[in-house]
Amino acid sequence: MNKTRKIEMTVELVRILVAVAIAYVIALVTLFLISDDPIYIIQQFVLGPFSSVRRVGSIINLAIPFTFTGLCFCFMYAVNKFNLSGEGIFMFSGCIVTLVAINLGEGLPFPLMILVLLIVGAVVGVVVTAIPAFLDAKFNSNIVVVSLMLNSILVFLSIWVLKYQMRDPSIGSMGSYPLPDNAVLPNIFGKFRIQAGLFIAIIAVIAVAILFYKMVFGYKMRVVGSNPLFAKACGINMVGTIVIAQLIGGALAGMGGACEILGNYDRYKWVASTQHGFDGLMVAVLARRNPILVPVAALLLAYIRIGADVVNSRGDIPIEFITVIQGIVILLVAAEEFMGRFKKNMIYKAAAEGLDKDKKEEVKELMSEDGEGKEQ
Amino acid sequence: MFTLDWFANFGFSVFRLSTPLIFAALAAVINKKAGMLNMALEGMMLSAALGGVVFAGATNNVWIGLVGAVVIGVIVGWVIAFANISGQTDLYLTCIAVNLAATGGTVFAMFLLTGEKATTSAAIKAYTLPSITIPLIDKIPLIGPMVSGHNVLTYFSFISIFLVWFFLYKTRLGLRMRAVGENPQAASSVGINVKKIGYISFLIAGVLCGFGGAFMSMGWVSFFMKNMINGRGYIGLSAMNIAEGNPIGSGIAAVFFGFSDALATTLKSQGGTFPTEFLDMIPYAATIIALVVISSIRMSHLKKIQRGGK
Repeated sequence: MNKTRKIEMTVELVRILVAVAIAYVIALVTLFLISDDPIYIIQQFVLGPFSSVRRVGSIINLAIPFTFTGLCFCFMYAVNKFNLSGEGIFMFSGCIVTLVAINLGEGLPFPLMILVLLIVGAVVGVVVTAIPAFLDAKFNSNIVVVSLMLNSILVFLSIWVLKYQMRDPSIGSMGSYPLPDNAVLPNIFGKFRIQAGLFIAIIAVIAVAILFYKMVFGYKMRVVGSNPLFAKACGINMVGTIVIAQLIGGALAGMGGACEILGNYDRYKWVASTQHGFDGLMVAVLARRNPILVPVAALLLAYIRIGADVVNSRGDIPIEFITVIQGIVILLVAAEEFMGRFKKNMIYKAAAEGLDKDKKEEVKELMSEDGEGKEQ
Repeated sequence: MFTLDWFANFGFSVFRLSTPLIFAALAAVINKKAGMLNMALEGMMLSAALGGVVFAGATNNVWIGLVGAVVIGVIVGWVIAFANISGQTDLYLTCIAVNLAATGGTVFAMFLLTGEKATTSAAIKAYTLPSITIPLIDKIPLIGPMVSGHNVLTYFSFISIFLVWFFLYKTRLGLRMRAVGENPQAASSVGINVKKIGYISFLIAGVLCGFGGAFMSMGWVSFFMKNMINGRGYIGLSAMNIAEGNPIGSGIAAVFFGFSDALATTLKSQGGTFPTEFLDMIPYAATIIALVVISSIRMSHLKKIQRGGK
């Protein structure tokens, strides 16, 4: 049994690597085919993200929101509920956090202000996720449809708040009043210009990992997700576990939105959905709903994104091709049959070996028993 | 404000805006009856919308454009079927991945073909499928201007409701499809090829989404626009959900959502001081509310049955 599990984990890891490699190769081939100067462009795509200290910093900066939304989707995914409201939450919590920060002004000292704003973001996340989670638990309304419709509503709501509650008329483009100085997460590590949200993200990853693997609730959650019938038979409170897991996920997405606004922007100016939610889904899929792997997946995605960004600014390649690559990665990683035969063969082989060994031992035992019998 | 003309115009836009929703709802019905929840309608319609414009522009023939849209829809449907049925990928994830890829992929393809990133209106010559004026009926006041003069696909969408119903309940393949949806093991035990039926359902859904996408880019407007489906696939899916997969009920639900969409559009065009953002929310809010109302009714009904059983 243990051996099977080991094989499964190894194959899983190999599978993810192969999937990412295939997608990466597809990306390179696409770049090669459509570019006028393929070698330069590919070089930019692969090495561009590491070409300056600033860009390395921006990989990490980009990985921070991906980590938050990735953790959010780990929770949704763990209880097998595709609550996609993380997408809308990210934008909306950024919006509400800005509104609160502007209204509080210089009233609170710096670290306390950040703490208050993070809590505001988390509360926004909890309140918003509660809607699809509750409707699903209570009325069995399709959670994907409700959460996606909710995302559209949140986009319009955020635009309305921006337009009528905090728009700064002195700037030409649509944007809020600037954030007060005490609400800005400082940049750290000098030239890298990494925002201090990094620490919050690291704390979040550790906390979530502990919750997942060292606490009763995490175990309950995983059981509910992987084997609902068993969970029910064990007397686990199914509805409660499912809803609470989603609420925690929502809180994380809300904190992600807050960190992004406070760390990377001087004022709120999102007028369209940021796509961080769906990126988070991809991160969670890549990490196989394991919170410890989320930062790795987030960094990987951020690296590919920054590569696409570099290509986008240097050449004539639109950044959108990355979403196609992202779709391919999700499909390949999620496909049970992709390398499934390989896995089965390995497991069969191990099982056959184990069986042989057992048989030999059995025979040995029998023989020794016989011997004992004769001696007696 | 509420003149006869206003009502006629409003009725006209209800039918017009219902068209893509009906096609999406019917595609969802076909998949639902085969036992699958197709959440990739959005991506299928988006890809088809672009395909239609490109094929029409390349061949200078609007009908080839329509065929092209259908072909693209079918190809995307096949990809989902292949990933889900042959590749054993989780259907939810497959659909989310396809939608994601279609959102970016259409922009990418549009950029490669035209050099534009927002719309094809400048680069590709605009074609629209013809509108049909129904003789006699168009002379009737109020009803005439509402019902007559629509795009050919609008009429076809209403005919499709009947066609899908006929297919599901009156043909052998339809019966098999419903059998697979009800109980795949039982269907398989009497010799029905479950995988094949699954593929067929996605291909038919692809055809319907092809029509829906073609209507968006060659009927509603005459060009392709980034993210132009704008949640209509999901709204169509909810229409199916509300009617529990019944084609006629789904069609009616789709018209209801078309009504809410038309209401938002009409109120917006009338101006006034009310923020347009809230009007924009109407179709989405209506979807959530309708979904919740129907599922709560269904839940209480189920509870009643359970109580009666005890």
